[in-house]
Amino acid sequence: MIEVEKLSKRYDGRLVLDGIDATFAPGEMTALVGPSGGGKSTLLRCLNGLESFDAGVVRVGSDTLAPGDVRAQGEKVRSIRRRVGFVFQQWHLFAHRTALGNVTEAPMHVKGVGRKEALERGRELLEKVGLSHREDAYPSELSGGEQQRVAIARALAMEPEVLLLDEPTSALDPERVGGLIDVLEQLRSEGLTLVSVTHEMRFAQELASRVLVLYGGRIIEEGPPDRVLASPHHERTRAFLGLGRVAALRTMGA
Amino acid sequence: MPACGAEQDSGLARVRRTGELRWGADAQGGEPYAMEDPDAPGGMRGFEVELAEALARELGVKARFVQNDWSNLIPSLERGGFDVALNGMEVTPARSGRILFTRPYYVFNLRLLARQDDAAVTGMAALRGQRVGTLANSLAWDLLQRSGVEAVPYEGVEEPYIDLEQGRVRAVLMDDIIAQRYGQVRPGLRLVGDVGEGYYAIAVRQGDEDLREALDAALGRIAHSGELRAIFQRWGIDSAAQQRMVDWTDAQTREVLSNTHTARMGWGQLVLFLQAAVVTLLVSAGAMVLAIPLGVGLALTRLYGPGWAGRLATAYVELFRGTPVLLQLYVLYYGLAGVLRLEPLSAAILGLGLNYAAYEAEVYRAGVLAVPRGQLEAAMALGMPLKLALRRVIMPQAFRVALPGVTNDFIALLKDSSLVSVISVVELTKRMTITAVDVRSWLIPGALCALLYLAMSYPLSRLARRLEARLERG
Repeated sequence: MIEVEKLSKRYDGRLVLDGIDATFAPGEMTALVGPSGGGKSTLLRCLNGLESFDAGVVRVGSDTLAPGDVRAQGEKVRSIRRRVGFVFQQWHLFAHRTALGNVTEAPMHVKGVGRKEALERGRELLEKVGLSHREDAYPSELSGGEQQRVAIARALAMEPEVLLLDEPTSALDPERVGGLIDVLEQLRSEGLTLVSVTHEMRFAQELASRVLVLYGGRIIEEGPPDRVLASPHHERTRAFLGLGRVAALRTMGA
Repeated sequence: MPACGAEQDSGLARVRRTGELRWGADAQGGEPYAMEDPDAPGGMRGFEVELAEALARELGVKARFVQNDWSNLIPSLERGGFDVALNGMEVTPARSGRILFTRPYYVFNLRLLARQDDAAVTGMAALRGQRVGTLANSLAWDLLQRSGVEAVPYEGVEEPYIDLEQGRVRAVLMDDIIAQRYGQVRPGLRLVGDVGEGYYAIAVRQGDEDLREALDAALGRIAHSGELRAIFQRWGIDSAAQQRMVDWTDAQTREVLSNTHTARMGWGQLVLFLQAAVVTLLVSAGAMVLAIPLGVGLALTRLYGPGWAGRLATAYVELFRGTPVLLQLYVLYYGLAGVLRLEPLSAAILGLGLNYAAYEAEVYRAGVLAVPRGQLEAAMALGMPLKLALRRVIMPQAFRVALPGVTNDFIALLKDSSLVSVISVVELTKRMTITAVDVRSWLIPGALCALLYLAMSYPLSRLARRLEARLERG
């Protein structure tokens, strides 16, 4: 469970997050959509303290992140990060470690899990994402889809309550997206809180229980994907989705 | 063509033709031999300056001083860098067998000094197995080699006495002129006694016999006229014994020079070379073991430390990289001797280690900067504290990038370790220099020295390449 209250962030004098209020519940998959620069990636990064903010609060269970430099919040931010996994758009697998090494690194060195137990759990997770046969491969030897699944396993190895994903489909071949959806669907059914930034409407449609549309640092629309994506209320959402008066807007803009 | 003309000239003809007697000496040898004149920048003073000028005048030419490192005066003379070497050049059997000497112009004693508080040093016999300092390849050096002590070679005249005061050598054996001016003036030192006698003469290249004869005649004239002793008197080095220089005969010259011997490269020399190679390896490896962690610390402090610490680390790198390592070794070993008494070997390792840490810091900093930013972010996102992320994720990858640079530095260090001879450590290059002068050839000692350096550096670069290949996979 993550709660966000009145979250605001300025960047170079521009308001990139403008009083965001949102709750992300267990077993729920939230898709953050909206045009580039709308603030969706920034919001995602604020949720596990990768990005500091200027006002408001982020609450993960009993831990609270306050405005200001996250580095100064030391143990508190690390505690949140241990409970909130993050899968990067470019995965950022540890280049010097094998697939299994990537998955066991944090449990062993952050949580202090014993080597044997970490290896056992790591192998289970790789099996879960369908990569048992690739455990000794280095990231440079893995395909994009495989790297992404290792990145998911790496995040899951910390047994997080929340998993954040940044554009998980952007570097995948279309036929791989189905496999990703299967893995995430299973995680959601296990009670994980999932939040994903995406621009892939099919992905949001199939997986999300809720869609948040961000524009200009605000949530301009939210609701179940069927409703938001099919008949959005807000003009900007319609424009973003390429529905309705897009052509007219384009003409006017020109 | 002037080059051909010069080759055909005999020594004396060349000097007359050019109108110059070029004499090689080392201004670092200092007072009273030949040194820079503080009152006339670029000018020289010293009793040998006056002697050179008197001799040139006798030959009807002008004297021109040529600066040359003292220990290499003979090789430079042979290469034709100057006409004569005139700089406290002692008549030794090894030198007599290699070059021509004129009649001597000065007779000196070999003087032994010890510490005031060290009454046990009563003479050479009491020094068996002890460290005794002197100038390498000097007459005193020869004597020490034969007397069962551990001869410690120095390149300057102050340094051995500093080390004697510091207790880093047990005694110092030097020509009395040097001992009197540089050793006996130190209150902590005392005269043990004079243990031998020797002569200074002017060295002339083989084949320049006519120049030697002309110089012999000129020396005889200024000795008889009293000019020679007048020069000695002006410099406070005259003594009754110098009257022998006035009454000197050719027969005496022949007798003094008759004792020649030529050392050869043999098994004994090979053992000494191998020992010196071990010293080189020890100094280099020790310095690297120090430089690597220090360099990593400096690089990380610059990149991730608080502002003041980063600036301090930057200042360290600039200071140690921007000043000569030779200077740093001098300061560490002699300059700080009062507060930090290091043995030569420890000082060598520490000095080179501190210096190379500055280079290592830059190699690692480049390595860290080459690791994609996302790697640190991914580690942080898993809840790793910065230090853990650096240790587990960033440094292993940075090291891979840095490895070729580190190997390069280590090989450079193997060779730079030759600089530690200034603080009396006999490593490979110094051993080669000493031997080359002894055996009158640079060819074989030089080749052996090069071979030993290669034998150390080549396996190292092979090892590094294999390690790189192994890391490449990840």
